[in-house]
Amino acid sequence: MTTSTQTTGTSPQSSSLFRRIFSGSMHAREVRLAYLLIAPTAIIVFGLVLFPAFFSIWISFRNIGLGNLDSVFSAPFVGFDNYTAVFNDFAFKYNSLTNMGAFLTSIVFSFAGTIVTISLGLAAALLLNQPFRARGLSRAVFLFPYVAPVVSIAFVWRWMLDPKPSGIINYALLELNLIDRPIAFLAKAGWALLLVIVFEGWRYFAFAMLMILARLQAVDRSLYEAAEVDGANIGQKFWYITLPELRYVIGAIFLLRLIWTFNKFDDIFLLTGGGFGTKVLPILTYEFSFKLFDFGKGAASSMILLVFLVVFLIFYARFVMRNVEE
Amino acid sequence: MSAKTNERATFIDHLARRMSWPRIFFFLGLFIFWAMIIFPFFWMVSSSFKSQAEIAARVPALLPGELRLDAYQELFNPTWDHFQDFLTNVINSLIVAIPTALIAVILSMMGAYAIARLRFKGKDMMLNSILLIYLFPGILLIIPLFAMLSQISRWIGLEVQDNLGVLIFLYLAQTLPVALYILANYFRTIPDEIEQAALIDGCTRFGVIWRVTMPLSVPALVSVGIYTFMIAWNEFLYALVFLNDRSMFTMPIKINAIFNDPSPRIPVVMAASVVMSLPIMILFLAMERYLAEGLSAGGVKG
Repeated sequence: MTTSTQTTGTSPQSSSLFRRIFSGSMHAREVRLAYLLIAPTAIIVFGLVLFPAFFSIWISFRNIGLGNLDSVFSAPFVGFDNYTAVFNDFAFKYNSLTNMGAFLTSIVFSFAGTIVTISLGLAAALLLNQPFRARGLSRAVFLFPYVAPVVSIAFVWRWMLDPKPSGIINYALLELNLIDRPIAFLAKAGWALLLVIVFEGWRYFAFAMLMILARLQAVDRSLYEAAEVDGANIGQKFWYITLPELRYVIGAIFLLRLIWTFNKFDDIFLLTGGGFGTKVLPILTYEFSFKLFDFGKGAASSMILLVFLVVFLIFYARFVMRNVEE
Repeated sequence: MSAKTNERATFIDHLARRMSWPRIFFFLGLFIFWAMIIFPFFWMVSSSFKSQAEIAARVPALLPGELRLDAYQELFNPTWDHFQDFLTNVINSLIVAIPTALIAVILSMMGAYAIARLRFKGKDMMLNSILLIYLFPGILLIIPLFAMLSQISRWIGLEVQDNLGVLIFLYLAQTLPVALYILANYFRTIPDEIEQAALIDGCTRFGVIWRVTMPLSVPALVSVGIYTFMIAWNEFLYALVFLNDRSMFTMPIKINAIFNDPSPRIPVVMAASVVMSLPIMILFLAMERYLAEGLSAGGVKG
C-alpha cells in the first residue's frame, strides 16, 4: 500500500525493475478502485439516460397506450406505422405560412432563437469587456435570466404581455400610440413565435456572453495596438481582429445552443402551451404521449429529435471539441 | 488594471472621458441590457404585493399602493381564503433538491477522482460518452422512462407516480455528467505531489480523497452542489409527468397549476414565483464568483 505511489505513472524514471514487478498487482488494484468509484455514476447515467434512449427506438416501432403500459415488452410490433402517422399528422406537416407544422416551426425557432441568443450574448460580452465601475455587478445581473427558474420567468412574461390594457407592454405601446388596441401577443400566430424566440434570446444570452467574454479576454492586446498604429477604427478592429478571434467559440456556442433550443420543451409549453404557431417537435412529442397517450407515436416523433441530436453531436465532436482544445 | 486607474481619476476627468460618442453608445447599451433584465424581476416582485384591483386597473401601477401580503397569506396562511398550502410544495422541492445535490456531489466526487487520478481502461471513452449523454434532452427520455418505470413499478410493486424518490434518481442522471466533468477538471489542477506525499505517509486512497482532495476542492464541490440543487429546484418536465397529486407537487408544477386555475390570481402566481426564485438568486449572487466559470462549462443545462 505504501508504495502505490508508483502506479500513477507520474514518476517514470524511478526504479523501473522494481516497478515492473509490482505494478501489475498495484495497477490491478487501482483499476478495481477506479471502477468502484465510477460505478454508481455510470450505473445511474447509463440506466436512466443511455438505456432509455435506446429503449425509445424500440418503443417507436410498437403500439403502446395507457392500456398496455404495464406490459410494454409484449407490446405489438407495428413496423413504421407510428412514423407514417407522425409524418401525416396535421400538426407535423407544413400547411401554410401561418401554420407551418411542428417540423418547420422547430427549425425556425431553433435557428432564430440561437442567432438572437448569440447576437445578444456578443453585444453583452463586448460591453462587459470594457473596464467600468459596475462591471462585476453587471455580469452577475446579466446572468439572472439564465439562472432564474423558468416557471417564474415565463409567467412574468405572460403577465407583462397580457392582452388587457393592464398588461404593462400593451399599456406602454398604447400610450406611445404604436398600437391602437391591445394585442394578444402570445395568442396570435406570428407574434407568438416571434416572442418565444425573443424569450429564448433574453433567457439564454448570458451563456453565450460568458463564453465569448472568456475568449475576448484572451485576445492578444498587441493585435489591437498594431491595428491602431495602422489607423484602424473601432469597426475595423472589431471586424478584422475581434470577430476572427471569436470564430471558433461562436461556432461552439452555435452548435450547443442549437442542440438545446431544438430540444426545448419548458419555455414554449409555459409561454404558449404550444398553440398559435409555436408547436415545436418537443411539444408535439409531449402531446402525442401524455395527452393522446399514444406512446409509440410520441417515441416516433422524438426519433426526429434523436436523429438531429446525433447529427449535431457528430458536428460537435468533429468541429467543436477539436477546435476548442487547441 | 485600467479599472483601478479609472477609480483614481477625478470625477471631472471621468465625466470628460465619458463624453465621447462611443462612450455614450456604451452606456446606452448597458442601460438597455440592465433595463430589459431587471424589469421582469421588478415586475414580479411588485405585482406580488398588489391588490386584485391594482392588477386589473386600466392604468398599471408601477408600485403597489401599499405592501399587501394577501398573496403570500393565500400561499402560506391556512385560515386564508383559497389557501394554497404552498409550504408543502416548498418542502417537496427541498425533499427533492437537497438529496439530489448531496448525492450528486458525493458520487461525482468519487467518479471525478477516478477520472482525474487513476488510470484504467476505457476511461476516455467513458468520460466522452458521459459528456455526450449530457446533451440528451429530457423530452427524448421522458417516454421510455415513463414506460420503463411503469414496468418496474409493476414488477416490484413500487409506486413511481407521485414518488419524490424517483425524481431524485432522474435528476441525478441529469446532473451527474456535468458535475463529474467540472470536478474532474478541478481535481486535475490540484498538484499530484500532495496526494503522493499522503500516500507515502500511509494514507489509503479513500483517506487521500477524504483528507487531501476534498478539503482542497471545497469551492468546486460547493459550486457543483449549487448547480445540481438549482437544476432539481427548477426542473419542470419530469415533475409534470410524474407528479399528479397536488400535495406531492414541487414548486414549478404547483405554480403552473395555480396559473392554470379557472380564475388565476396574478399576485398569487407572482408571490409563488418570488418565493421560488429568491433562494436561487441569493445563492447565485453569494457564490457568483465560483459559479460563473462552471456556467460556461454548461453547469445549468438548457
